[in-house]
Amino acid sequence: MLALSHIDSYYGASHILHDLSVEARGREILAVLGRNGVGKTTLLKTIMGLTDRCTGTLVLDAKDFSTAATFERARAGIGYVPQGRQIIPDFTIRENILMGGFAAANGGGRIPDTVAELFPYLMDNLDRPGGVLSGGQQQQLAIARALAMEPSILLMDEPTEGIQPNIVEQIEQTIVRLNKEFELTIILVEQNVRFAREAADSFVMMENGRVVEADAIDGLTDAIIAKHMTI
Amino acid sequence: MADVIFIGLSLSSILLLIALGLTIIYGAMGVINMAHGELVMIGAYTAVMTGIYLGFNLIAALPVAFLVAGGIGFLMERAVIRHLYGRLLDTLLATWGIAIILKQAIRLEFGLSFLDIHIDGLGTGLQNVAIPAFLNQPWSIGGIEVQSYRTFIILLTVFLALVTWFLMYRTSYGIQVRAIMRNADMAAACGIDVKKVSSLTFAYGSGLAGVAGVMMAGFKTVSPDMGSSLVVDGFLVVVVGGVGSLLGSVASAGFLGQVNGIFATYSNDILARAVVFGVVILIIMWRPQGLFSFKGR
Repeated sequence: MLALSHIDSYYGASHILHDLSVEARGREILAVLGRNGVGKTTLLKTIMGLTDRCTGTLVLDAKDFSTAATFERARAGIGYVPQGRQIIPDFTIRENILMGGFAAANGGGRIPDTVAELFPYLMDNLDRPGGVLSGGQQQQLAIARALAMEPSILLMDEPTEGIQPNIVEQIEQTIVRLNKEFELTIILVEQNVRFAREAADSFVMMENGRVVEADAIDGLTDAIIAKHMTI
Repeated sequence: MADVIFIGLSLSSILLLIALGLTIIYGAMGVINMAHGELVMIGAYTAVMTGIYLGFNLIAALPVAFLVAGGIGFLMERAVIRHLYGRLLDTLLATWGIAIILKQAIRLEFGLSFLDIHIDGLGTGLQNVAIPAFLNQPWSIGGIEVQSYRTFIILLTVFLALVTWFLMYRTSYGIQVRAIMRNADMAAACGIDVKKVSSLTFAYGSGLAGVAGVMMAGFKTVSPDMGSSLVVDGFLVVVVGGVGSLLGSVASAGFLGQVNGIFATYSNDILARAVVFGVVILIIMWRPQGLFSFKGR
């Protein structure tokens, strides 16, 4: 379980998240919804400790990580699939995946079986540079890298953004499998309400750096969407 | 002609030794270390001091200089630079300040000269380091006479470049450094202890500077000011080669050393330097990212 309470987070002098409290229960998918620029990505970065400054408490499985460094959070089992994927174009696919291994309990050094099972295409092309992959394959690579971290909780930032439609479905299935089969807790930043309703167990709706609604996914009514997500 | 190329090669080697340290430090941490030349100077003084007090020759001084310069680099990173990451101008000033402190520490014999205590080997004076006798004999290869000391410099540089390549591309430490160079946030999110790896990288780059200093002590007089202009030479190599690229540093050090060597032989050192600067300006106008550079930086 990951619990954030009374979090305030900043980039330089900009105050992005205001007194924010969020809780992701074990093995659930928590969808983080809201318009562009409301602080969804900042929320994930704050959980990773990648913003400039942050106050409040962050507790993972009863341990306090409020002041922990980013690498300690990663080693504690928080895997991060960032917006825009951020794979390293001139590293080989193998190196990109193994990079995640530094957060693994045994120090990594090998590609986990889950990656081989989920992404056979990557396994067949381990020595090609990551930069030659298509957007969807790069997204798979970013997920594979996160899995090499041997996480218990996965932060995913718009994993289907900018990806061709036939791959979107594959990635959605992968996310569901990661949750159901591999029992990962997933915090999913998503613009796609249909997928959030399909896959998530609960949701938080954000507006201006604050949580304005939080409920089980059944409580995500059209009225809430109309109020907080339509432009 | 062959001897000119050979002189150029040995100039390239010294350039490369200085640039290797700079390029991995700048690449991994975005820190322009203005004190890099002073670490070279510290390496040269290590050769002087171990020679006087321990009877070491140049070759025995090499590992000592690596450790001394590396240790000073490690302390610099821990004490000052760590607190200034991401602030390029501030690190520039801070490392410049460290450079002045290091220079004055040697010149004032760690302040003891105020108390009229003098340490042999330090102080404002010039120091000389003798080359071991077996490196003083010229030898001939295919009818061309070459200096063995220059040969030694070249071989040592090749060795250290290979060691550095191995560290960066074949070890777990290396993949961490390269990951930090490309995306420090993502590296941290992958569980890499960026601060620890950075300290080690800084120490290693500094150690290479120390080794370069010992080599220079063999053919230049050693003085507190000897390092000041070297950081410029080193950065010319880094900028032309492409930041963070080992291959780029090797190629550009080789090229600039040759240009310097050729023009110095056929005219004089001052013109050679002017030509080198001119060539560097042309290259960075043509390729601002350097000859070899990974995308996205």
